[in-house]
Amino acid sequence: MKHGAGGKWYLNARNYSDQLAKDLDLESYLTEQWSNFETVFIRKIMGISSIGLGYKLRMPIIGRVIRWNAEKMIHSESKNRNPFRADGHFGQVLPLEDAKLILSNLAAEPIIENYCMCRLMQRGIKEVCCINFGVLSGVIEKLPRFIPENTKLRLDREEAVARLEKHSRAGRVSTVWFQPVPYVCAICSCETPQCGGLRLRNDFGLMSVYKGEYVIRLDPDRCQGCKLCVSMCQFGALRHSPSLKRVLVDNTKCFGCGLCRHACNFDALQLVPREEVPGLKGMY
Amino acid sequence: MAKTKIIIDYTKCGDGVGVDPRQCGRCLRACDPAVFLCHETLGVSQDPVDPQIWRITAVWLDLCNHCIKCVHECPQSAITVI
Repeated sequence: MKHGAGGKWYLNARNYSDQLAKDLDLESYLTEQWSNFETVFIRKIMGISSIGLGYKLRMPIIGRVIRWNAEKMIHSESKNRNPFRADGHFGQVLPLEDAKLILSNLAAEPIIENYCMCRLMQRGIKEVCCINFGVLSGVIEKLPRFIPENTKLRLDREEAVARLEKHSRAGRVSTVWFQPVPYVCAICSCETPQCGGLRLRNDFGLMSVYKGEYVIRLDPDRCQGCKLCVSMCQFGALRHSPSLKRVLVDNTKCFGCGLCRHACNFDALQLVPREEVPGLKGMY
Repeated sequence: MAKTKIIIDYTKCGDGVGVDPRQCGRCLRACDPAVFLCHETLGVSQDPVDPQIWRITAVWLDLCNHCIKCVHECPQSAITVI
């Protein structure tokens, strides 16, 4: 099952197997990638770094070449992937239910929770928030800057699910990541704008994070117009209308994370499969 | 519109010479659009597993909204926004 093909690639058990990691020699790839992750945006790739990326993408012709090349890197399935550029590393937004399903059943042992690297490098904040598993766990355990202090690193499945639920209710979007495609070894709880993946998608339109397999549906009869859900949305998909006295949903902006549901006291928000909504089918 | 330039004086901050940005990090948190990035300094020999020499680079320059909070926040006065 391919990503973006209208199926849930993240429910394919093969993508989590130790054998796959071994066949692709991912321990050395992930060691290089994680040792150098903070420098991925400043390294020059064919003479061009991500510094001032927005300006570069707006250049005529050259901008289109850079975009094409960046997409090619992000989705690379080539044998000679470059870990310094994080080739083949992209993800998808998940509702909490699917993320729990992965951690309960699919994620390869051992499961660890370490400092979120994006927040560490873009905010200088040490937050134990990033759940990794499989061969990546052993890689991160060797890198002191990601190891949390005063708390345990390895989690069992129940603990991992409980931590994820806590992050989700606090307002962080669950995302699942290929590192690199097709191997799945991370479930993050992301915060825009200090998430490297969401930054590339939201600010530059690069397909580093796909929208989820769902989209939110609001029941206008149940919505009381309390606006609590609006503050949960990281994608600007919700807005309160004073004249209608209810919340409006912009389906084209909704990533289907379902975080808004945590804030609703009236059961007015529900996720529906993206493929069943006319006009949103295939829009990832 | 002119392109934003953010200049950081590495004699005052980072590179193992000035303040360690991993300890300070005030610009990282002051910036609403998260323009800055804290990363290991390239081009110097470091322990690949546990590098100790770090610096700040303003990466997402086009997202800077010129609020100048970073300039006021920096205890070393190392940041200039043009």
